Amino acid sequence: MACTHDHSCEDHDCSSNWSLYKHIDLSKVTALNEANPGSVKSVFKAWEERLNSTGEHLESNEGDPELLVYIPFTSDVKIKSISIVGGADGTSPSKLRVFINREGIDFSDAQSMQPVQEWDLVENLHGVLEYQTRYSKFQSVANITLHFPESFGGDTTQIHYIGFKGEATQLKRDVVATIVYEITPNPSDHKTRAETGGGLSHVE
Amino acid sequence: MVLEATMICVDNSEWMRNGDYSPSRFQVQADAVSLVCGAKTQSNPENTVGILTMAGKGVRVLATPTSDLGKILSCMHGLEMGGEMNLAAGILIAQLALKHRQNKNQQQRIIVFAGSPIKHEKKALEIIGKKLKKNSVALDIVDFGEEEDGKPEKLEALLASVNNNDASHIVHVPPSQNALSDVLISTPVFTGDGEGGSGFAATTAAAAAGGVSDFDFGVDPNIDPELALALRVSMEEERARQEAAAKKAAEEASSQEKGEDAQPQSDSQNATSTATEKVSDPMDEDDLLKEALALSMNIPGSDSSAGDAQMSEASNDDQELALALQMSMQDGSKESSAPSDVSKVLGDQSFMSSIISSLPGVDPNDPNVKNLLASLPGQSESQQKKDEDEKPKDEK
Repeated sequence: MACTHDHSCEDHDCSSNWSLYKHIDLSKVTALNEANPGSVKSVFKAWEERLNSTGEHLESNEGDPELLVYIPFTSDVKIKSISIVGGADGTSPSKLRVFINREGIDFSDAQSMQPVQEWDLVENLHGVLEYQTRYSKFQSVANITLHFPESFGGDTTQIHYIGFKGEATQLKRDVVATIVYEITPNPSDHKTRAETGGGLSHVE
Repeated sequence: MVLEATMICVDNSEWMRNGDYSPSRFQVQADAVSLVCGAKTQSNPENTVGILTMAGKGVRVLATPTSDLGKILSCMHGLEMGGEMNLAAGILIAQLALKHRQNKNQQQRIIVFAGSPIKHEKKALEIIGKKLKKNSVALDIVDFGEEEDGKPEKLEALLASVNNNDASHIVHVPPSQNALSDVLISTPVFTGDGEGGSGFAATTAAAAAGGVSDFDFGVDPNIDPELALALRVSMEEERARQEAAAKKAAEEASSQEKGEDAQPQSDSQNATSTATEKVSDPMDEDDLLKEALALSMNIPGSDSSAGDAQMSEASNDDQELALALQMSMQDGSKESSAPSDVSKVLGDQSFMSSIISSLPGVDPNDPNVKNLLASLPGQSESQQKKDEDEKPKDEK
């Protein structure tokens, strides 16, 4: 499939550069102000399919073009650039602000916080434009939050594709999950070996 | 079992002194609040609930989202009534409290008890609703108490602007003999998903109805969920067995019986049926015994083979279960004499397999056989499960 780049694509495979979508933890991707819950997952696909608009796309609620997308990765990644394919007729997002490694951001947080980087977007219906990041700030990204505050005058904001270019490390950011501990221990759950037979006793 | 953080907005305005709900609007509201808190924490132990009051001097947060039920209930105690309810401020502050919850993975929900007149305009409420929807906060509204022109419409408009995929609900409760809690139990506001919510609801329904035990199997799911679950499973298997047996009896009414070989099996089958009948219906033992005898006459060896195949499947799937099965086999023999001895025999897999191999003309792959097999191990398994639950208790 033609790459629509100025260079010739026979030398290298463009799509392999945009392969960070494989490292996205799709089950935990969420979006705020989306019209159809869960439709955000459809915008992460392979580079070749970025213009394939037969499937679902991400759309914001009527009359409110603001969107917030939270994307966790399965391992820490370095992001070199980002590509966004919006909708037609002014429904493309006009600005992008990103936050790194912050969970649970909502609209009031996003509007008041200083983003790690922000871009003024243009209508990019063919997905040929990419927005470079300040690479030094995007060195170990465990999750990224994209905030699209406004569109090009449309009633809603539509996003058909979000792509990340960069490399994935094998590392994982340390996370302490919320754990429920035992309030009252049940002795039968903690049989020591002494009770069940000989040998060194240890609590299982 | 949705992981949720809930903020409950309580109306403690002057309108709550009214006695049109007995004993007073405030009391029924307090009961409903404790019901909701219980249901939420029951359905998922990581759920958190918080409370704030909307009237009085101003909106006041009594408890931020916590899973400590005692703290929440003690907050309701000693609340004073007064002032006017400020619905908009209450909802916004509830949203703020939810925003700062500790576990960001929890879904956000606000439950509002709207008992007094609403002084806000519909427009203002709709704007608030849109804001909640944008931040994916669900809203449940309980419309009770004061009935004012336009109040239901305002609340419906608020619900429509918040509602995302039917996550939000509204309940209108007119004054009546029934307590607010009883009405609420059956609504989606409080029937959480899964056993936890409905189990708790069943408990409180029973308590409200005057102590008549309404539990499914005479076991409170709150006190012993494992036992309740095991009993429910055994009940379903018993039902399946009975259906299969009835089908069998109808089919094989004209089939030939086996010879002497089958006698020990038919006896064991008979005894197992007896044992199961004992479990399910102690009153009609004799009738069932006769029925079981007749059944087992028709379907002698096939049952045992089926029983063995299913049993070995079960043990392959679950090593612990197999261990428990064997252990409870020994227990079972203490409980009752002849029947359990025989069921012990049936359960003994080596014995079963030797019998099966010795039986000519029995095809374990026959679907009818398999049906009956399902019933056989079902009973013994459920019996074992029950014993298994009782065993850990005994060991304590």
